[in-house]
Amino acid sequence: MDATPLLEVDGIKKAFGGVQAVDGAAFSVDEGTVTALIGPNGAGKSTVVGVIGGAIAPDEGRVSFRGEEITSLAPHRIARRGLIRTFQISREYPAMTVLENLMVSPSNQRGEKLANALFAHRSYRNQERQLAVKALDVLEDFGLYAMRDEYARNLSGGQKRLLELARSVMADPTMLILDEPMAGINPALISHIGEHILRLREAGITFLMVEHNLEVVERICDHVIVLAVGRTLAQGTMSELRANEAVVAAYLTGGIVDAGTAH
Amino acid sequence: MTGIIVGYIATLGVYFCIYNILSIGLNIQFGYAGILDFTVITFMAIGGYMAGVASLGPEQPGSQIFYILGLSLPWPVAMLIGATAAGLVGCAIGLIALRRLRSDYLAIVTLAAGSIIYGLVGNNTKIFDGFEGLVGVPQPLNGVLNLNPNSYSLFFLGFAAVIMVILWVAANRLRNSPLGRAMRATREDLEVAEAYGKNTYKLRMMAMVIGSIYVGIGGVLTIWYITALAPAGWGTSETFVVWAALIVGGVGSNGGAVIGSFLVAVVFNEATRFLPSISSNPSLIPEVRNICIGALVILTLRFRPQGVLPERKAKFPGLPERPFGEKATAVAEEV
Repeated sequence: MDATPLLEVDGIKKAFGGVQAVDGAAFSVDEGTVTALIGPNGAGKSTVVGVIGGAIAPDEGRVSFRGEEITSLAPHRIARRGLIRTFQISREYPAMTVLENLMVSPSNQRGEKLANALFAHRSYRNQERQLAVKALDVLEDFGLYAMRDEYARNLSGGQKRLLELARSVMADPTMLILDEPMAGINPALISHIGEHILRLREAGITFLMVEHNLEVVERICDHVIVLAVGRTLAQGTMSELRANEAVVAAYLTGGIVDAGTAH
Repeated sequence: MTGIIVGYIATLGVYFCIYNILSIGLNIQFGYAGILDFTVITFMAIGGYMAGVASLGPEQPGSQIFYILGLSLPWPVAMLIGATAAGLVGCAIGLIALRRLRSDYLAIVTLAAGSIIYGLVGNNTKIFDGFEGLVGVPQPLNGVLNLNPNSYSLFFLGFAAVIMVILWVAANRLRNSPLGRAMRATREDLEVAEAYGKNTYKLRMMAMVIGSIYVGIGGVLTIWYITALAPAGWGTSETFVVWAALIVGGVGSNGGAVIGSFLVAVVFNEATRFLPSISSNPSLIPEVRNICIGALVILTLRFRPQGVLPERKAKFPGLPERPFGEKATAVAEEV
């Protein structure tokens, strides 16, 4: 475990107006793990995810991915390095088909060059077909094959979650950050998505997931990071954390006492 | 009498081609990339004016008509200049509006930029002769062909149709390419497309500039056909006609843009211009025309929001069928 972690978050601070949303959060994610980011509402989890993904510029601190700093990069540049984040609510491309939703994901497609798009559609035809075959494979893996030509807006809430994962896989990520992938879906689908996550971990994708459902965290996550009032409160396995009084208190009190910033 | 009818039909045909090009240009901006361009007609004017001053000869002292350049250039070069100028103005507005602005603010910026350009061009008599506008712009090949006006109108109809078809094919290729798909993804959800590695700023800038070039070429054809262009011909209400055409036809669909330009621009907007005005109330017909176009937009949005010919689903032909695919789906449908 001496190798450099895949993702390192160091001393992130971010204030929105007078609210210090993140106040020095620091943690790392090792390659090949499913790491959970938990904490009470208002702990700064979503802000941290936003900072890692490049959508929010931090006031202080740095983020490194594969040993390289990515702190001030544009979101699309971070994504092209293999770090893909999803959003708290499933956000499909509603008026595009399910298959198209997947076909958007791969970066640097030949047909995304203007000259090829206008004058040389043969130049990207083979790549397009390969990507479509791959997309259909992925859809089959996620049980969405029959919906391939349906508009994404017509999927059910659960199917949209699966689409979100399928679309991310299509981008060939090194690491996926999932913001509450299990929120608002039924127990059968929760375990289903959990299985997909474990399957993808075996395939070599590292996960960081924000999650409130502690049973899920216990079942599929190797490592847990607890945030409270914008700081890292504790890290470890779920059973270690259950024994940690500060963590239990944070969940009951919102962490105000233990993080020591009562006002 | 036949002469008048031929001229009338040729003129409507030319307007059809021009409005087609304008609404396909707007479709690239709004239908592909979701850019609310509320100043479409400004790019038409820029393209027209620049092609005009490039093909006109130097300004004559004493004629009281003032304009820049006056290069007497051949028509293909003039067209290139007009298209490029429109693209550059589109790029300039994009630089201000596309970087960080939400789509509704972007709409306001385009509207404001259009008003500024209108004011500049209208009030400054030294650029394009102010509110008087350019007149006597030479028509392509008219000196060579020596046709009578009606025959020239028919020739110009063919000329405009060829350009329209070329632009139509290019727009469809763009739409069906991975580039067009990425543009549509930015239209659907800008933040998500960015998070999946798309350079959304560059994609939208491309759509903005290509759309402006299309509209600019529409402007070049306009000034050549009418041989004149003044600010009265490109007020904000003209932008509304192009928007109405796209909405009625079907946003995102180039076929819809064609049908929309025919219905709105040709049938309602231009054909009614040739009705004899009622002497007791000369403004009646134009006002009824605007009411009709407005009503058509409202009816479309209420009863067929996707337009007459909606955007089609993307097809991926030639993919192998999967015999076991359906089984794997059973799980998802329980969900």
